[in-house]
Amino acid sequence: MAEQKPESPYIVFDGVEVKFSDLVYGLRGVSLSIHRGDFVFFVGRTGAGKSTVLKLLSRQVRETAGKVWLNGRDLATVRDVPMLRREMGIVPQDFALLPSRKVWENVAYAMRAVGRSRAEVRRKVPDILERVQIGHRADAFPHELSGGEQQRVAIGRALINNPSLLLADEPTGNLDPQHSWEIMELLQLLNLRGTTVLVASHDTEVIRRTNRRVVTLENGHVIGDRSRFDDE
Amino acid sequence: MNRLQFLIGEAWASLTRHKGMTFATITTSAVALFLVGGLAYAYWRIDAYARSLPSRFEMRVFLRDGTTYDQVRETATAIRAIEGVDTVVHIPKDAAWQRFKRDLREAMPEDLGNPLPDAFKVILKDLEESRSVAASIKRLPAVAPNGVNYLSEEHELISHILRLLGWLGLGLFGTLVPTAGILIYIAIRLALHARRREIRIMSLVGATQSTILIPFLIEGTVQGAIGGALATPALYTVYRLFAATVEGLMATVDPSPFPLWPTLALLVVTGGAFGFVCSLVAARRPLREA
Repeated sequence: MAEQKPESPYIVFDGVEVKFSDLVYGLRGVSLSIHRGDFVFFVGRTGAGKSTVLKLLSRQVRETAGKVWLNGRDLATVRDVPMLRREMGIVPQDFALLPSRKVWENVAYAMRAVGRSRAEVRRKVPDILERVQIGHRADAFPHELSGGEQQRVAIGRALINNPSLLLADEPTGNLDPQHSWEIMELLQLLNLRGTTVLVASHDTEVIRRTNRRVVTLENGHVIGDRSRFDDE
Repeated sequence: MNRLQFLIGEAWASLTRHKGMTFATITTSAVALFLVGGLAYAYWRIDAYARSLPSRFEMRVFLRDGTTYDQVRETATAIRAIEGVDTVVHIPKDAAWQRFKRDLREAMPEDLGNPLPDAFKVILKDLEESRSVAASIKRLPAVAPNGVNYLSEEHELISHILRLLGWLGLGLFGTLVPTAGILIYIAIRLALHARRREIRIMSLVGATQSTILIPFLIEGTVQGAIGGALATPALYTVYRLFAATVEGLMATVDPSPFPLWPTLALLVVTGGAFGFVCSLVAARRPLREA
């Protein structure tokens, strides 16, 4: 593939295959493109390959064939994976919060880990917590928060590097419908501000209400790609 | 500076999280360094003593009082002719006396005459010939009764002790050092497990591999270095007890002072380097896969 032009898609999957073993494939010949500012759901049953798509972008998994492009770069040529990850925010399903640290400390810890100064941490953490609407619980410990609140903290932590891309793997997987919808509203708000959001999910109700682009995967193949949930 | 504070903070958190394991690791390292270091020190001192003795291939031959210059020359020629002798060096009585006075100048009375005889330093070609060479020299007329001295038995004894210390050191090195290494390895693996959530978070937000790895290296290095620091006073205490015993048995022996600070530096550096290597082995692969 030639060097991409500025108007080219932000993310391109070109015949991507991920082979874990002779019998087990994560993806098989997946091709799709995503533009900057898109909000895309990846749906499918467990093992369909939706998490693999996100992990390819964060380099937790490598393609065995085909190419993955991000912002004009072939990710197979990227050597500095930590710097790549600072361009994106990653939201895990299990929140991955530090139980012995308060909400603000959880965000501060991540900032310190990427080399931010104490002064910068003090300045930015309240802003980040306000962006994800959890500032009022800054001094609470994770076990004192609801599942939705914990996920807000995890999303806030994913925003510390001002990422242009947010990858959320089953962000509502552990939440009740009410909290699930609150998290989706938050992700949509971030998307409205310009962040490209990719969500792996099997939460049909949330996907239907959000009514965004949906890529359906099955056994590693893309079997559907609708620009809106309502589209048929 | 910010990064350094973060790394040290992480290492400290890891060290204090598993206090029992940290204690076991440090004490095992200390015991290993104490025993191996102590044996190495004993070996070094005995070896130095052995080197200060005349060579195993060397004999001292003392001549009778009043031996003339011609008799000295004839005796030298006769010794050179003996099978197994390599070289013969004459040590004139005056030169020996000057040297003796220089070595013991504070203890020597001013008016004491030279009591030393003329002597030869005889170097042998082959150690196996020492008994026959000694017997041949003793038969020479100018040689004083009991005038042939060589230290084959003393050398044999020291060789035995050095060999024993060598084997003992090797045995302890082969058991204690791997034990300490395995303990540091386990401590780091436990720390990796205990801190898997922090490692995952760091990995997710784009912390570099070195930021994730360095706290574990600091942890292992500190454990080894503290072990070395604790081994030094233990070694010093044993040395003092040993020295006091020797002084009590032989009033004339003044054991040379224990090199406390060099030993401390050596054991701390050795322990630290050992801990660094063990923690690197323990942490590198799991973190690369994280």
